[in-house]
Amino acid sequence: MFPAECKYTKNHEFLKPLGDGTAVVGITSYAQEALGDVVFVQLPEVGTSFATGDEFGTVESVKTVSECYLPTGGEVVEVNADLEAHPEFMNEDAYGKGWMVKIKLVGDLNSELLDAAAYEAHVASEAH
Amino acid sequence: MASIKKQTPLFDWHKAHGANVVEFGDYLMPIWYASARAEHLAVVSQAGLFDTSHMATLRVFGKDAFELLQWCFTRNLNACVGKDNAPLTDGKCVYGAFLDEQGRAIDDCIVYKLMDGEFMIEVNASMGGPAAKHLTEQAKGKDVKIVDLTDQVGKIDIQGPASIKIMAKLLKNPEAVFDKLPYFSAKGHFDPESTLAAQVQLLDGTPILLSRSGYTGEVGFELFVGRAHTVKLWELIMAAGQEFGLTACGLAARDSLRTGAVLPLSHQDIGPWTFIHHPWPFALPFAPGGESFTKAFLGSAALEQASDAPWTLTFVGNDLRKVDAHEAKVFHDGKEIGIVLTCATDMAIGRHEGRIYSLTSPDKPEGLSIKGLCCGYIKVGTKLVPGTTVELRDGKRALPVVIETDVRPDRSARKALKTFF
Repeated sequence: MFPAECKYTKNHEFLKPLGDGTAVVGITSYAQEALGDVVFVQLPEVGTSFATGDEFGTVESVKTVSECYLPTGGEVVEVNADLEAHPEFMNEDAYGKGWMVKIKLVGDLNSELLDAAAYEAHVASEAH
Repeated sequence: MASIKKQTPLFDWHKAHGANVVEFGDYLMPIWYASARAEHLAVVSQAGLFDTSHMATLRVFGKDAFELLQWCFTRNLNACVGKDNAPLTDGKCVYGAFLDEQGRAIDDCIVYKLMDGEFMIEVNASMGGPAAKHLTEQAKGKDVKIVDLTDQVGKIDIQGPASIKIMAKLLKNPEAVFDKLPYFSAKGHFDPESTLAAQVQLLDGTPILLSRSGYTGEVGFELFVGRAHTVKLWELIMAAGQEFGLTACGLAARDSLRTGAVLPLSHQDIGPWTFIHHPWPFALPFAPGGESFTKAFLGSAALEQASDAPWTLTFVGNDLRKVDAHEAKVFHDGKEIGIVLTCATDMAIGRHEGRIYSLTSPDKPEGLSIKGLCCGYIKVGTKLVPGTTVELRDGKRALPVVIETDVRPDRSARKALKTFF
């Protein structure tokens, strides 16, 4: 159900390591479905550094405004500028064209990140 | 102890069609199916279908029914129809509110005059019991009966410019039904025993009450049907509407559409405060000049004496970003002046050089990209003139918004039905 190559937070962000010291970050398919239509996305400046758990952006849906927290420490090297014109990409393809930021990993990877199976169990426990 | 939530007859349909379901009042209702945005846009440009069976319906009948409503309801039933303030005649309906003695809103509602001594009242979800109790208390010594029909009636709203073509496919005598059916009028009855039941029938003979009204600002109908026929009516309309882009809609689209149409949500935008300074003066029986009322009614003395009543004002933002209405405060010139009642996004509008355009505005500038604007109501201590900018602040953001008199322009609700064929 959730891509095996990604790591997940309990707050429903995903981190997809690219194997070259960088990783792509976004919100999970479960998160976008719970939020409904994403209508506005606020992203950080390229070059900004964040520690694990820092707020790096917000996602506004028809329902609410949600903060997004960086799954692990890193420096933003690229942001998905397409989301400004097409916030719906986050609904259509959360792990693909709905990605939010690309970071250069800094320090050890956050050890509390969940793998796909653990995240699926977390989602199931939230639903009940 | 958790309360058991009620379901409308369409609950299984909603679940089977992917609805996200939320608790609303006593009911479990769809908030959206695939996309609230697409549902909102469908109503503005094509048509949308809403399950509104959670709304409550009262029958008020008897020799003194008129007298009771003339006392309890905020409209003057002798002078409330059209520009000329004509009396409420058979087949006409009118929007207003019930107030308490202090002039505070108990609920808003639509009163239908079906015939002499026979009225139907549509109040909000979960308000059937309280409204019936209120009217019964006021009816002491009068020859009038009040019956809560909520669990006997199914209600479906079809809204949007394609509504007329869609319903024409389903009615026995569409030309006769749509003839002389102005905004806020109704024909037929859902009770087969009623003498009105022959006026509007589905092709299989099922009688319905068809009201040319709604809660979206767009042209369409509110349909009342015997509860056992609700699912059949819904499925017939969905099938007939497929070729016209009819979309099933949830409460989120209903909320954003009604906000864009400058309509209040009861218990959120109107409630237990003095019902006098708000964007809905038509709900009160003002005499010309707006200084006095054309009748005395329950709560009117309090309204006339209100000196420090709050002001409810309409606002529209500069883009589609919202604040959290539950926690947001209103600031003007750096001072906190009030609270936010509703903050929604009308997805069908945008600003160009300050002016608001709708997707359907005939004079919309070429190339204007419409992404939606946040809009809603604030409740503040002082009157602010249209054009004033205030700031809405919640824990996350501070949004400048402008006080306006209208939100989504060029709405279709009042257009002649013949223009939709």
